Amino acid sequence: MTKNKISLVDTDIHERVQYRDIVDRLDEPFRHYIENCHWIQEKHMPYTQPSVAGVDRADAILPDGRPAGSDLGFMQEQLLDEIGHEFGILTSALDPSPSSMHGWHEMAAALATAYNDWQIENWLDKDERLYGSVHIAAQDRDEAVKEIERVGSHPKMVQVLLPIDDIMWGEPYYHPIFEAAEKHNLMIGMHHNEPPVYYGKWPRYFIEWHTLIPTAHMKQITSMMFNGVFEKFPNLGLMMIEGGFTFIPHLMWKMDQQFRDLRHEVPWLKRKPSQIMKEQVRFTTQPAEELTKKEFMSLLEQMGTDEMLCFSTDYPHWDYDSPHRALPNMDPELKRKIFSENAKNFYPKLPNPEEG
Amino acid sequence: MREQVVCKKSDIEPGEMKKSTFGKQDVLICRTPDGEFYAFMNQCIHQGAPLDRGMICGATTEESEPGGYEYCHKGEIIRCPWHGREFDIKNEGRMLANPDKKIPSFKVRVEDEDVIVYK
Repeated sequence: MTKNKISLVDTDIHERVQYRDIVDRLDEPFRHYIENCHWIQEKHMPYTQPSVAGVDRADAILPDGRPAGSDLGFMQEQLLDEIGHEFGILTSALDPSPSSMHGWHEMAAALATAYNDWQIENWLDKDERLYGSVHIAAQDRDEAVKEIERVGSHPKMVQVLLPIDDIMWGEPYYHPIFEAAEKHNLMIGMHHNEPPVYYGKWPRYFIEWHTLIPTAHMKQITSMMFNGVFEKFPNLGLMMIEGGFTFIPHLMWKMDQQFRDLRHEVPWLKRKPSQIMKEQVRFTTQPAEELTKKEFMSLLEQMGTDEMLCFSTDYPHWDYDSPHRALPNMDPELKRKIFSENAKNFYPKLPNPEEG
Repeated sequence: MREQVVCKKSDIEPGEMKKSTFGKQDVLICRTPDGEFYAFMNQCIHQGAPLDRGMICGATTEESEPGGYEYCHKGEIIRCPWHGREFDIKNEGRMLANPDKKIPSFKVRVEDEDVIVYK
C-alpha cells in the first residue's frame, strides 16, 4: 500500500476516550458520580454487534487490550503513516457523547468541556495532521454557546459536532449555536448517535438500523434547510458524517420539487434547496456502497457537482472504508477533489495553500 | 514458487487459522475441526483486510426461518476483521452472502508433519 500514497484529508476518524482518561478533568460532583457511583450514559445498542469485534475493526484493538482508537501511536502506525494522511478530522464516538445524553444537562456540559481539553492536549497538540471537533452539550443551548466561545478559537478546531439523535437542529431555539460557530469560522459536523432512525427507538435488527442511517441524515438536512439556517448563516457549512452519499440526488430533487410548490411557507429561502446544498452542505463518503465506475459517475452527474463528497475512512470502526478500495477508479483530478480538495475548500481552518 | 512448507501440522489446532507466506504471497492456513488443511490468500476480496486478524467460526445458515437461528459449520467459516464478511472454507472460500465471489485459494497437502502449499 505504501507505494500508492495519495493526498488525503480523512473527514471521519474516531478517537476514543475512556472515562478514566478524563475523570481528573471533571469538577465535583461529576467526578464523584463516575468514580464512585459508576455512572455511564444511559444509551446503548440492544444488538449483539454483527462483526468480529463489535463496532471496531478487529485489527484496530490495541495489543494490550485497550479499545480501538484509544492510542495515538497505534493510530499513527496503522492509519496515518500507513495511508499517508495529509490531514485527519477527529470526530470521536460513543462515550462520552455529551450532545446525545438525555437529561442531566449539567453532566453533559461538564463532559464536553473535559473532552475538548483532553482532545486538544492528547491528539491535536501531538500530531500536526490531526484537526478536531468541538463537543458541546447542545441540548443546553446557552452552555453550548459558552463552550464554543471557550475553545472555538483553537487553531485546530474546525467544526462543532452535533449528534443526529432526537433533536431537529433547524429549530430556531438552537440558532445561537450556529451563530457562535460561524463567528469562529467553525463548520457544523453532524454524526448520527443512538438511536436516530426509528422514531427514537431501535428497529429489531442492526441491519435495519444501519440501512436506515441516511434517513436520519435527510431529516436533519431538511430541518436545517427549511428553517432557513443556511440563509441566516451564509458562511456556515454543514458536513454530514457517516451517512454515505447515494441519497443525495434524491434529496436535492425532492426538496426542489417541494420548494416549487410550497415556497410560500418558507419565503426566507432565496435559493433553490439544491443550490444551497451545493454551496453549503458536504458529505463524507463512508460507508460507501460498492458502485461501478459508471454508477458512481452517473451519481455525480445527478448531483450536478463533484464538490460535495469528501472521503472518509471511519477508522477504527468495523465498516472502515479503505482509501485504496472503497470507491471506483477515477481520473486524477476528480480523485484530488474527493480525497482532498473538497474538504480543504469546506473547512476554512484547514491549511489550503492552493487558495492562496 | 511451485511448493513450499508453510507450517507444521502441530502449529495449527483444528478450528484455528494462522498466517504464513508462500513465496511473496501472504497466505492464510486454516484447519477445520475434521483436521483438514486449507490455504487462501490472506486478504479480503472486498477491501483488502488481513483475514488472519478476523476469526474462524461458524455461521447462521439459510435454513433459519424468520425469528430463529440455525447455527452450524463451526470452525469452517472465516470472518473478515473489518466488515465481517463470511467465507466458507469447505466451499472453495466462497462468500456466504454471494457465493459467486470467493477468496483465491491454494492447493495444500500434508507430508508427515509438514503442511505444504503448492500450485
